[in-house]
Amino acid sequence: MAELRRWQHRRAPGEPVSAETRESYYGLPVIHGPHWRWPIVFYFVLGGLAGGSAVLAAAARLVGGRWARSVVRIGRYLAFLAVLPGPLLLIVDLGRPERFHHMLRVVKLRSPMSVGVWGLVGFTASAFLNALRQAAEDGLLGRRGVVQCIRRLPDRGLAAMSLLPAFFLAGYTGVLLGATAVPLWARNALRLGPLFLCSALSSAAAALSLLVGSGPDVQRVRRALERVEQVALVGELALLEAVQRGSGDVVGRPITVGLEGRAYAGARASAGLALGLHLLARVVPRRFRTVLRVLAALVAFGGAFLLRAAIVFGGRRSAEDPRATFVMTHDERH
Amino acid sequence: MNSESTLVGRTRARPGAFGFLTDTTLCIGCKACEVACKQWNQLPMDDFGFTGMSYDNTGDLGATTWRHVAFIERVADRQGRRPTRLQPFQSHWLMLSDVCKHCVNAGCMEACPTGAIIRTEFDTVVIQQDICNGCGYCVPACPFGVPALSPLDGKAHKCTLCYDRLKDGLEPACSKACPTDAIQFGPVHALMDRAKARVAELQAQGVDARIYGDEALGGTGGIGGLNAFFILTAPPEVYNLPAAPELPQRRVLPAFLTTALAALVLGVATLLSFWRTKEVRHG
Repeated sequence: MAELRRWQHRRAPGEPVSAETRESYYGLPVIHGPHWRWPIVFYFVLGGLAGGSAVLAAAARLVGGRWARSVVRIGRYLAFLAVLPGPLLLIVDLGRPERFHHMLRVVKLRSPMSVGVWGLVGFTASAFLNALRQAAEDGLLGRRGVVQCIRRLPDRGLAAMSLLPAFFLAGYTGVLLGATAVPLWARNALRLGPLFLCSALSSAAAALSLLVGSGPDVQRVRRALERVEQVALVGELALLEAVQRGSGDVVGRPITVGLEGRAYAGARASAGLALGLHLLARVVPRRFRTVLRVLAALVAFGGAFLLRAAIVFGGRRSAEDPRATFVMTHDERH
Repeated sequence: MNSESTLVGRTRARPGAFGFLTDTTLCIGCKACEVACKQWNQLPMDDFGFTGMSYDNTGDLGATTWRHVAFIERVADRQGRRPTRLQPFQSHWLMLSDVCKHCVNAGCMEACPTGAIIRTEFDTVVIQQDICNGCGYCVPACPFGVPALSPLDGKAHKCTLCYDRLKDGLEPACSKACPTDAIQFGPVHALMDRAKARVAELQAQGVDARIYGDEALGGTGGIGGLNAFFILTAPPEVYNLPAAPELPQRRVLPAFLTTALAALVLGVATLLSFWRTKEVRHG
């Protein structure tokens, strides 16, 4: 629930009143910030993990051979398990949780949250079917009765169908943040979706490479996942840089200084470090490789978390800064 | 004539739309509008604090404050220059009764995922309290910082332009209570004509007056004008109003397109890596 608004003086010590009334209204925020906090950060991380896992499972099923079956199996289970807490986190975040079903009254294409709710419903259904098909395949549901019907579902068809909702779930949250008046998000509206996609894929590849265990083809599986992770990390690094540079001094302040600034720097350092560790793992003796790769996966996963936290909490701080809003809405004619 | 002059005084408000003209040159800062709004709409009192910055102890629009009178003291800058021609012993106050702008294209309404925020038959924007589930997306989607979540009931609230009073043929409580007619209620196009005449009159007197809420200032970037608009005598930033706000939903389609492009690139990379990765020897 929203907190009571309390006023505090924002004037810097030693500054005259005229300093703050010239540039803004006594330093008070122009816009109202979002109330989103940790539940939304965790939802963003889990949604990314679920979407990324579903993408990897589908790709492994569609073009990978029998060697990639462990990715298909674990990716499908992980996608379903990771998305399950999502709706709960979102409902907990509502001011009136008992009215969550009001989200399903309408479809509004211009509202990323409305589209997102339907996307989440679609993804959950697709992840459930994929996990169910996999469970039937793995014999977790027994061998008789309904299981025979489930096994008749087209496996490759289910995998192909899950690609669109998976990418959507991993990326729409960036579009949702961009379609607000919050300066930090609005300035980066075109970059946040791709950034969240990259981070989703890198964290999912990292998680899967930790979970594939030790099958006969595990080296080949890890190599494939690593390649995806590296591409995603390179994209993530480039977009993190682009967001910071594109924001400028005033709008980008929340992701440069303070706790959110450190989280953002941490996200960038994690992506760079994970990439570096993967490269290092190629040249060191074989017995050190596993350690380095596990380390790289953990660092990449932590970076995805820091990134979401920095962007969500940075947006809250950005909304409180009247100068940032005025930089975005300036018109030199007036 | 530049393109700006054709936008001054222009609004995309529909014929028959109702709204407010708030003329800050007539406001005496009595806060009768705030009180009348609280009384009629039965809004509870806010945090009873002291801002210590001006005569404004309301601070901001909020879930239980739908009119807010801003008090801006125009004092001298470091060089001793005063933004006024008044004598140095005279203080110079600007007062503005802020309110929901009831945008022609409203960011809060487009953002609302439940359809709780609707446009009424008076072309005002109203949050249906029996639908709102307090998701809070309208709050950061407003370029003017109007809707807010209430800690009392968890739902989003803002000015309804006294929808219940309009239904009964009454004018909104704030404009009814305003003793100087600084707040005027009526059809938007008629009010806009009145505002243009008033601004011309003020400019003839040497006052730096302007309309805030037409397509040149305040109603920019796809918003198409504000049904509740203002006459200002200083740059809008002085009143804590954005000069050229943008409808946030204009970014939805471009942002989805760049995200789709990124999905395409990453999808191809993922497919290639599972297709091309060869068996590892000596594994």
